[in-house]
Amino acid sequence: MTAPLTTPGTDTADDVAFDHPWKVIVWDDPINLMSYVTFVFRKVFGYSKDKAEQLMMQVHVEGRAVVSSGAREKAELDVFRLHEHGLWATLEQDQ
Amino acid sequence: MAAFFRRRFRWKNGQVVVELPDDEQDMLRHVLPQLRELVMGETDPALRRLSPPARPDDPDAEAFYRQMVTDELLVSRLEAIEVVEEGIAGTVLDDAGIDSWMHSLNALRLVLGERLDVDVIGHDVLHDLDPDDDRVPIVALYEWLGWLLEQLVDAAMNSLDD
Repeated sequence: MTAPLTTPGTDTADDVAFDHPWKVIVWDDPINLMSYVTFVFRKVFGYSKDKAEQLMMQVHVEGRAVVSSGAREKAELDVFRLHEHGLWATLEQDQ
Repeated sequence: MAAFFRRRFRWKNGQVVVELPDDEQDMLRHVLPQLRELVMGETDPALRRLSPPARPDDPDAEAFYRQMVTDELLVSRLEAIEVVEEGIAGTVLDDAGIDSWMHSLNALRLVLGERLDVDVIGHDVLHDLDPDDDRVPIVALYEWLGWLLEQLVDAAMNSLDD
């Protein structure tokens, strides 16, 4: 046996983040207007009218929807922009 | 009567035109300083609606996120309020201006919704209040803000690709 070897691809935070992207979740709330929420999804994410409406309905009916996902920094920025618009958004790591 | 029916936000030549009757201008001048005071404080329960937790599952991560964004969110809200105050008497909005107006009108709605406990009691109760109920004027303000925001969304929709 010589020097200890490290196994590539285990054990670093970057790899974990890469394997498990971050999800941005918007939660249903009774105050925000449906038309407004749809508009915000189109404006913040550039989604089509259809996709934005579908996500808004998912939030409304199921109580929550994953509206975007990706690297941590991007997901944090998305949450920030949604909070700026007054939406109830959270961040979680895909398990 | 003409002013009563005129749209407050209209899409014209690639921008949103804002035109509010005098009494509605006065109402915004009255409530925006209160919103400013609220967002600059730290204790109002409505702040939870304006900046909800991003990481409710993980207190350490939440504290870290807070530290990172709190100032930025505050600056953004104060700037948005200022943009609205400057344009109350009549203005045209580009993309950034649309954001400022939306953020401020919606923040006002969120604060009033929180005051009225809409999360818990829902809207139906509020539409059926006794005329002497203290909440009646707040409900009227809340409904008016929703009506304004709805019109702004409608006008601003033209600014999106699709």
